[in-house]
Amino acid sequence: MNDTSSRLLEETPEKIAGRLMQKAHNQDGLPEIAIGFAFLALAVLCWLPTAVQPRSPAYIAAICGEALLIPILLLRLQWAIKTVRRKFLIEREGYVESKPANRRHFAIVLVVALAVAVAGVFAAYRGSFPPASWVLGATGIGGGVLTAIAGRLPRFVIGGAVMAVTGLALAFSRASMGTGFAILYGLMGAMSLLSGCVVFLLFMRKPAAVEEGE
Amino acid sequence: MSAKIQRLAEIDRVIHEPGRLMIVALLAAVEEADFQYLRQTTGLTQGNLSAHLTKLDEAGYVAIEKTFRGKYPLTLCRLTERGKQVLDTYRKVIKGAL
Repeated sequence: MNDTSSRLLEETPEKIAGRLMQKAHNQDGLPEIAIGFAFLALAVLCWLPTAVQPRSPAYIAAICGEALLIPILLLRLQWAIKTVRRKFLIEREGYVESKPANRRHFAIVLVVALAVAVAGVFAAYRGSFPPASWVLGATGIGGGVLTAIAGRLPRFVIGGAVMAVTGLALAFSRASMGTGFAILYGLMGAMSLLSGCVVFLLFMRKPAAVEEGE
Repeated sequence: MSAKIQRLAEIDRVIHEPGRLMIVALLAAVEEADFQYLRQTTGLTQGNLSAHLTKLDEAGYVAIEKTFRGKYPLTLCRLTERGKQVLDTYRKVIKGAL
């Protein structure tokens, strides 16, 4: 408690709440499991266009699937995690109702995500992306930094570092865009899934505290 | 500057206690939360959390409602308007003094 007390004096109430809620959010590993599956699905969708005939129906389906998956994940991933928690883990994790999302903020994120997805599809279809090495390196470093900042826990910092190093290695390896992204997302998905499963098993091994008349 | 520091004497002691400040800060960031969620998130023991919630309830900063969700007993806690005002004042005083 001493550590907590000294930290509390240096933080604003918003920072205290943000830190505590972030820790609680990641305590059961479910977000990592969900992100792991999402990354693995993205890896398959990135690899598919390299394995089929360009501009064939399978190629276009893979590109469209890739573009659609990102907005769907942005919209529904949190909802899916919340539903699983409320249905199966409420006795262990407790119940919390978040404040309604800021609609303006949400709309901006959605428009930006859609614009990036549409631009990506267009560029992929016309074959006018910047060099693969630049895109892979920038995605690895950007994604790694975002993972480390958003997660705030040591395992996320390690995951972020691995993503950045992998992105850089792929940038120097002369891998094609599709193969590079498939490797990057595949590795991150597998790592995320593995660490999420370990955290989930450890969380489930802890005895659930039964609420008594307080 | 000294006037700002003197304002520290006006700080509400009910929410200045670290455990209660954690609870109030958390409840300010959500619509409502139950006892178990607060216990998991703050790391406080059941007895400690219960005592802090009772104090906050008595001061009128937190509203507590006992209910059920299926077989699971829920002790729902939410910050009252008074609680929000007190937290806001607390934030201003601390920011001004530090």
